[in-house]
Amino acid sequence: MTFMKISSNKPLPEKFSKKYNELFDNEQPLFIVTGDLTLDGAYGESALCFTADCIYAFDDSYPEGYERVMYEDVKEAKVKRMYGNATFDAYLNDGSRKKLIRFTFAAANVADAGADFINGILDGADPAELLDAVEGSFLKQRSFCPKCGRKLPSPDAECINCKGKGRMITKFASYAAPFKKGLIVSMLLSVFTTGMSLIPPYITGYMVDKVLPSREMSMLIRMILILLAVYILQYTVSAFRSYILRITGDKIIIGMKKDIYAKAQYLPMSFYDKTSTGSVINRVNSDTSVIQNFVLRITQDAVVQFFTLVGILIIMICLNWKLTLFSLLPIPLVVIIGRFFGKKIGPRYMRLWRRGSAINTLLTDTIPGIRVIKAFTNEKSAVDKYDAYNDEWLREDNQVAKISSIFPAFMTFLVTCGSLIIWFSGGSFVISGAKGFSTGLLVSFVSYASMFYNPVNFFANFSDTYQNTLASAEKILDILDAEPEHNFGKGNIPDRIKGKIEFKNVNFSFDRSKKVLSNINLTIEQGDIVGIVGTTGSGKSTLINLLMRYYDEYEGDIFIDGKNIKDIDIGYYRNQIGFVQQEPLMFRDTVFNNIAYGSSNPHVEQILAAADIANAHGFISRLPDGYDTLVGERGIGLSGGEKQRLSIARAVMKNPSILIFDEATAAVDSETEHLIQEAIERLIRGRTTLMIAHRLSTLRNANKIVVVDKGEIIECGTPDELMALKGKYYKLIQIQSMGEQLRRKKEEENFE
Amino acid sequence: MITYIDGPEVKITENDGIFVDVEFFHSKEKLTGLEPRRLFPRSGIDRYVALLDGEGNQVAVIRKMENLPEESRNALTKALDEYYMIPKILRFIKMTEKFKIWMWTAETDRGIITFEIRNHIASVKPLYDGRVLIRDANDNRYEIPDYRKLDKKSKAMLMPKL
Repeated sequence: MTFMKISSNKPLPEKFSKKYNELFDNEQPLFIVTGDLTLDGAYGESALCFTADCIYAFDDSYPEGYERVMYEDVKEAKVKRMYGNATFDAYLNDGSRKKLIRFTFAAANVADAGADFINGILDGADPAELLDAVEGSFLKQRSFCPKCGRKLPSPDAECINCKGKGRMITKFASYAAPFKKGLIVSMLLSVFTTGMSLIPPYITGYMVDKVLPSREMSMLIRMILILLAVYILQYTVSAFRSYILRITGDKIIIGMKKDIYAKAQYLPMSFYDKTSTGSVINRVNSDTSVIQNFVLRITQDAVVQFFTLVGILIIMICLNWKLTLFSLLPIPLVVIIGRFFGKKIGPRYMRLWRRGSAINTLLTDTIPGIRVIKAFTNEKSAVDKYDAYNDEWLREDNQVAKISSIFPAFMTFLVTCGSLIIWFSGGSFVISGAKGFSTGLLVSFVSYASMFYNPVNFFANFSDTYQNTLASAEKILDILDAEPEHNFGKGNIPDRIKGKIEFKNVNFSFDRSKKVLSNINLTIEQGDIVGIVGTTGSGKSTLINLLMRYYDEYEGDIFIDGKNIKDIDIGYYRNQIGFVQQEPLMFRDTVFNNIAYGSSNPHVEQILAAADIANAHGFISRLPDGYDTLVGERGIGLSGGEKQRLSIARAVMKNPSILIFDEATAAVDSETEHLIQEAIERLIRGRTTLMIAHRLSTLRNANKIVVVDKGEIIECGTPDELMALKGKYYKLIQIQSMGEQLRRKKEEENFE
Repeated sequence: MITYIDGPEVKITENDGIFVDVEFFHSKEKLTGLEPRRLFPRSGIDRYVALLDGEGNQVAVIRKMENLPEESRNALTKALDEYYMIPKILRFIKMTEKFKIWMWTAETDRGIITFEIRNHIASVKPLYDGRVLIRDANDNRYEIPDYRKLDKKSKAMLMPKL
């Protein structure tokens, strides 16, 4: 029997495969889930073999090495997710629980599919359909690049990681490519100045050997004029080259910054769940500068230094090959020490970057949150924390500074020792009167040798720059190479979206440790006004996040008007949805532009009409600067209710087919709530509307209520149906009507 | 209001794996099938353990496990050990990288494991007390109790990622 042909997350371990063959030769398993822990929690092997009527669990702790459970004895199969591990449990008809195998989260999803298969069989579902679903889960599990193991967006997608080894070089070279003209000109000018710099030592030697002994003043003046001309030419060209280089370098960095920012806009929410905004800002601002310096060093300095090195070497060999060999003596040492230094400093730069990033993150957290800090008189603690982070950075920087200071000094020392060798050996040749060796030649040679060690020093120190750049390049590539939001339906724009929404068997978890939504099946008809209720953390907002396509990695399907939302152009799709959030975000701009956000060239009266519908026009017109009022960062200067109405006006401007309100009136008083509610009622006419609300009184217009609890839909129907059901919704209504009465009473008392 | 258990007022016995039964001497109440959960699974593993009922509602919180009678403490520890799995990394055996995907092989207190790290900037979190928290591509968690105490070879492998 070949187990590889059967669906399995990993091949069945050989010892289990043998055992299975020995015992059940005639019975093929339908699929296999291979675990990576033993039942007692140690890393090891375990497996579940699913057949048509029973399941075989393999684990060394079973007396016979395996355990068989017939489906007919099972009431329910479940995957119990714990902390860092999970178990596959069979709840038997006698009420007991049988823990069959244990595994890490690596196998949790396929184990889920196994549990669904058994439960489906128990419910009498079609085994072929169940197996298709299992196959789908295994396929998803296997959607990894065979080369690098990276998860792919779909089973046959191309891995963006494996396109080539010189990825990093190609990537950054592409930013320099548009400016190659400037770089080439600058490079040619560099070669020219390098050539010019090789002339003076030769003239110096000539003067020592020929001009000074001849005692001819005119010859001396001629030589000095030649030198002056060389210097003028060299430094003028050098200044022009620096200008071109600066302009080109700035253009490269701006291009890179624009790209990173643009990429950051299209990254999925899951990226921002794991990466702090401070870290992203750090990458856009600081790391691009590091890359810019490196690109310039590679395209300019490295080229110049290389030509200098080769030019001098040729001249030195022509002058005296023996002396050249002596001057090369310290080179191997310089190279070895350079490599050693690179290994030492690389990790340090990485740590320094992390400390710097932590400081940025702290700043982006605390400066916008300054009101909270003041409200809790936490200024000192904030300052202390910032100091501690900076001290930590300084400690790390000290280490880096130590290594990066000692190293160049040591290298320079070696270089100096090299020139001593030349003085000794060359001096000996001159003193002993060696044939063809003059004082002038020695002077020229020493000049060339000192110039020769500059490029050697440059390439030896290059590892420092290179390591620093690698640390930054990795951070930048982390953004540039991150998978953007998938737009599988790019260009697929339906005539119009009517607004029928269907969730089919949707399961979702932010990570594999806990399911946030389980088995969501929901149909919302066009024009329905649906209230989504449930306790905090029940999964209401996650449901909306999936509908907004903020997260795409869910199981099951979501349809709009019968089309899978993943197959619709994402830009078009999101444009059809008006989303009003609990804490609307205002940009540091005018009230007008905040309403117009996302609309291209709106007419003034469109904005006024939108504000009017949103019950915002009244308060805006009372503002001294009216629609030109500058809204502060995050809407400072406006009340919560005012911001909310601006955000509703923003939604009106979109003229969406579907409207979503996520706790739109949660943080306002009754009067403002009334104003917002009025605005919402005007807006939702004829549109499919989803409203998440804690305050159930705001759902009085809803014709359908969905109750979400612990990630599952537990009740769904008209408000009357759910009241008659006397379930969770009924309980919530009871509790809230009591609370509402109290609140009103209190507000009336306060008013009096 | 949170009901705290300080120690001798309860008897905790094993139930089934991650579940325990709790008998309150004072009220003579016996609750079965409670699930103990650490409130501080990373920073204080033996303090503040919540007991949840089948609905996930908190029944009581044990302040310090060390104050419980030995028998109760053992039953509780057993259930917690069953639930929580954060292998402690003792040493690193190998770290290989291909196209920015890292495979780390480590010896842990639960055996040798090879796991995948997609992005060590996001997955490896060094804390200031020397602990390092690691989360692999499958969301499994690992902990290095004190990276400064790792052997030289392991440290050399880990340091560039911190």
